[in-house]
Amino acid sequence: MLKSLRKLTGILCVLLLLSGCWSSTEIEDLALYLGLSLDAGKPAPKEKDLERKGARYPKQDKLLVTIQVVPAVGVASNEDKSLEKSSPFFNISGSGDSILQIFRQFSIRLDRPIIGHHLKVIVISADLLKKQSAEQLTDFLLRDNDIRPSCIVLVSEGEAMDVLVGTPNKEIPAVSLIGMSRNRSRTSKVMRPVTLARLDAMIHSRKSFVLQRLITAGKETLFSGAEIIKGSIGQSIGSLGEDDTMCLTWLRGEGDRGVIKVNDSKGEPLVFEMKSLKSKITPHVEGEEISFDVKITTTGRIIETWSKGDTSTTQEYADEASKIFEEELIRMMTQLIHKLQDTYAADVAGFGDQLAIKYPSVWKKVKDDWDERFSQSKISISYKLSITDFGSFSEKK
Amino acid sequence: MSSLKSFIPSWHIWVLAVVAFLVPFLLSKIFARVHAYVKSGGTFKSASARTSVLSPDSSSAAATPFDGDYAADVRSVMDVIGKNSDLTVREFPLSRFDAKGTLFYVNGMQRERELNMRTLEFFMFEATREMLASPPNVKGLLPFYNLKESADVREFSRLVLFGYAGLIIEGVPCGLLIQSPNTSNRAIVEPLSEALLRGPRIGFTEVLSENTSMLRRQGFSDQLEMKSYIIGNTLPKEVVIAYFKDIVNADLLKEVEARISNINIDFLADSGYIEQLIEDNYLSPFQQLQNTERPDRVINGLLEGRVAILQDGSPFALIAPATFSMLLQSPEDYYERWIPSSFLRILRFFAAFLSLLAPSIYISFISFHPGLIPTELVLSIIETRQGVPFPSLIEVLVLELSIEILREAGIRLPKPIGPAMGIVGGIIVGDAAVQAGIVSPILVIVVAVTAISSFSMPSYSAGITLRLLRFFGMVFAAILGMFGTILFFLLLCSHLSRLKSFGVSYLTPVSPYRLQDWKDLFIRAPISLMKKRPAMMKTRQERRQT
Amino acid sequence: MFNRTDDKITSSQAAVFLTNTLLGAGILSLPRNVTQAMETPDAWLTILLGGAAMLGIVLLMVKLCLHFPGQTVFQYAGKIIGKIPGKLVGMLLILYFIVVAGFEIRTLAEVTTFFLLEGTPSEAIVLPFIWAGVYLVLGGINSIARVFQIVLPISILVLLVSFGVSLRLFDINHLRPVLGSGFLPILRGMKTAILIYAGCEVILTLTAFLQEPKQAVKAMLGGIAIPIFLYLLTVVFVIGCLSVDSVVTSTWPTIDLVRSFEITGFFIERLEFPFMVIWLMQMFCNFSSFFFQASLGISQIFNVRLKPVIFLLAPAIFIATMLPRSLQDVFTLGDSIGYIGLGMFFLLPLLLTLIWMIRKKGTKGHA
Repeated sequence: MLKSLRKLTGILCVLLLLSGCWSSTEIEDLALYLGLSLDAGKPAPKEKDLERKGARYPKQDKLLVTIQVVPAVGVASNEDKSLEKSSPFFNISGSGDSILQIFRQFSIRLDRPIIGHHLKVIVISADLLKKQSAEQLTDFLLRDNDIRPSCIVLVSEGEAMDVLVGTPNKEIPAVSLIGMSRNRSRTSKVMRPVTLARLDAMIHSRKSFVLQRLITAGKETLFSGAEIIKGSIGQSIGSLGEDDTMCLTWLRGEGDRGVIKVNDSKGEPLVFEMKSLKSKITPHVEGEEISFDVKITTTGRIIETWSKGDTSTTQEYADEASKIFEEELIRMMTQLIHKLQDTYAADVAGFGDQLAIKYPSVWKKVKDDWDERFSQSKISISYKLSITDFGSFSEKK
Repeated sequence: MSSLKSFIPSWHIWVLAVVAFLVPFLLSKIFARVHAYVKSGGTFKSASARTSVLSPDSSSAAATPFDGDYAADVRSVMDVIGKNSDLTVREFPLSRFDAKGTLFYVNGMQRERELNMRTLEFFMFEATREMLASPPNVKGLLPFYNLKESADVREFSRLVLFGYAGLIIEGVPCGLLIQSPNTSNRAIVEPLSEALLRGPRIGFTEVLSENTSMLRRQGFSDQLEMKSYIIGNTLPKEVVIAYFKDIVNADLLKEVEARISNINIDFLADSGYIEQLIEDNYLSPFQQLQNTERPDRVINGLLEGRVAILQDGSPFALIAPATFSMLLQSPEDYYERWIPSSFLRILRFFAAFLSLLAPSIYISFISFHPGLIPTELVLSIIETRQGVPFPSLIEVLVLELSIEILREAGIRLPKPIGPAMGIVGGIIVGDAAVQAGIVSPILVIVVAVTAISSFSMPSYSAGITLRLLRFFGMVFAAILGMFGTILFFLLLCSHLSRLKSFGVSYLTPVSPYRLQDWKDLFIRAPISLMKKRPAMMKTRQERRQT
Repeated sequence: MFNRTDDKITSSQAAVFLTNTLLGAGILSLPRNVTQAMETPDAWLTILLGGAAMLGIVLLMVKLCLHFPGQTVFQYAGKIIGKIPGKLVGMLLILYFIVVAGFEIRTLAEVTTFFLLEGTPSEAIVLPFIWAGVYLVLGGINSIARVFQIVLPISILVLLVSFGVSLRLFDINHLRPVLGSGFLPILRGMKTAILIYAGCEVILTLTAFLQEPKQAVKAMLGGIAIPIFLYLLTVVFVIGCLSVDSVVTSTWPTIDLVRSFEITGFFIERLEFPFMVIWLMQMFCNFSSFFFQASLGISQIFNVRLKPVIFLLAPAIFIATMLPRSLQDVFTLGDSIGYIGLGMFFLLPLLLTLIWMIRKKGTKGHA
């Protein structure tokens, strides 16, 4: 028995030694990247110097990948030396033809392996999206086992890597982008975030869709408008402005926040704050003809007015004001529909989905060239805007 | 064909397949061997005499009987115990008839005033020849309520040294034991290891008769039965089995009795010895009998159909069989109202979980799965762990072990120093370790929470078990991360599901699902709902009498 | 003795046993498998129909078993179709159980190396798992059932919480239109929807262990109803949250579902952690069940003691685990297991019942 015991201990010891804890890496020896940006290919500034000295491998520079690594402690990187030492993050960029290859290239530039478990934001530059399809760009991101499908995808006007620069000693840009995307509760200019999981579904359904667009100036980034990705080619074909984006969110029923500002009869600003909004798209099919009825019902309050004196809190006044707001809403919506149907010929508002639900057989026939059919279909929108209160302010009679 | 060939695994798979067989096979063989070895009592096969079941008034066979000759008897007693300096021997004349008697007692074990005033007075001036004439008369005519005769010199001597007052009287062919020992006892105090805020404050003491009386005093019943056993080869002791004869399952009782009478040991220092000698699985980390200092807990156990084992000299009674859920139950659960009690009970399950697995989970997160914890947490952990030179396992082991040592030291130290050392050890060392960058502050929190959770176990022994198992869990986690932790948990579940305590599966109320037993498992249902005795005990009466 | 010496289980234990045998690898890939076959969001209808069909099959199996109280299929197959064919059928079943056990562990190893332990050799994951299984199976059916009863409530709780939290992604439009392409896709999906119940052959042996065979029908129907319900829930939520387009391209759609949101401000921000935990535990149950069935079969057919068989089966299962060369092989194996399973749990009891009835009639005619 002693013999077998000894043998067993031997085996166990070997096993334990062998194991050496294969997959174990201490958390502080890892570099997490919270943000990832994809730009059209050109060597990154620092990379140019390196390449001049001979740090080269065969590549065509199809894209430029920047990752935002946190925390910046103890990293022996010559990248971003300009930033102050206490900066909580640093960015590292590399160019190449495949995201993974560039990632592995980072491994010979950084002292810690990078892991993508905590990737929160992916920013793709609009320029790149005009050249490459979203499917190509996100293929690796969806296959990778580190990256969670919960990270959100944004598009930047201009260089995507600029979005990640941020101001020194402030919050990590990737984190603040996430924070900003939560401001949906304040304005519908911020769209429902598109996560990788949703993006995957949208790409594979070959329907057109929109991605939130970012604009960066100086070191400040804001959510502004949306980039339209055409389903059939998977590339960007243009963008929507801020008001259009807000209307689009309303139309899709994904948000009911925002303000409508009009000038009243005296030319002074009058502001409507939306409290609720319902949008219902009803498709109709008559023969080959496809048309849609949209019903938008919204309520809200007058929250700000600059005109002196004659604002009252009567129902008549409310009706009168709501007329003015309704007109503005109609104008905004019409502008959006016009852009979608005529300028871009892309259904990003979910008209197709409603058709597919209501008339699956018709949808099957038209789905391959749906965007074209959509641009020809008739859309009529009915509005109902009502003002329910005037805030905590009562005009004396 | 070639495609089929590609499915044939390479040689190392075959080698590993052999390993796959060998490891569990050898392990099970070794465990079986060790178990058998422990059970047989190591090397000596129990050739020596079985337990001598002798109660004070039955004499053992291998003995020297009193031969009836007074002088010879006294001499033979003196031969056996005469050299003890604390033995007082007093010879006295019986004046009513011409005879002599000798009184033996050990200093400090008898009330001397009583001996002088009553006993000696009686024998010297009142006792008549008729009273002591023949053995059958002795018992009837002497005015002592606690009178034992001993026909055996050795037994007589033993009992005298145990504290009885012994008498040898000329003309009486046996020794008389008249006063039971009256040693100084500890006062009855609140049970130290199971303090409650609400509920009876009485706790067992080291004196068996006091303990049994405490049980008797719990209520009027003629069904509470106690059986006495004398166990121990060199220094025998009295052990009592208590049960309700109209409730307890007969098979269970038989099993307990059999195991008790099979105990083969020199001396029982504490009921812990009994526990270890009669448990089912010697190799399990879990206690298979519950120990308690509380008479109320014992009586509740008895009413559920369990059996209690009390031992002279130990303030801890054992309750058999024990099940897993009992480790996490406190008598207070029943004394408080049911909603707070249920909350506390769930809290205790949670604490048990924490104290068992928190360090393992910490290790798996830190070393294996940074992707499974929230980003903000990851960032702060990374920041705090900067400069920690050890991998998480070592880090945790350092701190866990030092906490265990601290705890151990705290128990040993005298009361005034204990808390001071806790402060020095816990706060100063912990803080210094963090300052020195040996451990991360997050870990200090984890370890502290773990330690506190393990102290919240109502049963001290259960706390030890969990603390011990925690270290195994940490090793599993260090090798295979989360997977290892889960494997450890599953192994633990498998072990618990296989473990039995006196034939009752250790997991019984948890599984199989029995609604009526679940009323007293995770929650403590209102008392009015608990009308039935636990089904697992297979009691003679299913319903509690209402 | 005070305890039962015969290793019997209560009906609740039997139900849980069946549930845990069925809920395994399937729950991760089921939404994709069904949706790939159907390409419409009607997968939930298929699951319902498949479940209904399963209820019938289960009923058939239980009824067959009840003719032979206290006997497993390995014992009574011989009585129905003769000794040698009976043994052959038994051996076929055993082989099937071993392959399924291997398949389950392999899936587990694949998922674990992909999501949890990248870089760890799969042998290091498989071996300890098998050993833990050996330890549990050595305890007999009662211990196994007890562990199952601990694991299942935790699993169901976590599963429900995961789905409940993923409601934020849920979009009923992903499940519409109902029957947009008619009934045909549903029939196409039926195959997969029934294949996930591979493993319910355990009923053929499980019934023998029941304390109260009278409740067999109730217990087994209960045991199959839970997985049907959970599968239904899984499909509804995975498709409802991720949409058909995303599900068909995802290898493990159910994991992707829990990975596609974060609950900020919650201590467990990422639900894949509890989800993986319960899934691993569920796989352990699953595997132990097949392991037990296989060893029971061998011991009953060849009349040997159970314990050595368990030890000897461990390497066999290990090799079965290591046979597939790639994940693709694993999926192919999964499909073929489904087909063989269909034969095992549908044709086998049907044939046995028919032959039994014919023979019984025959003997009655003579008598």
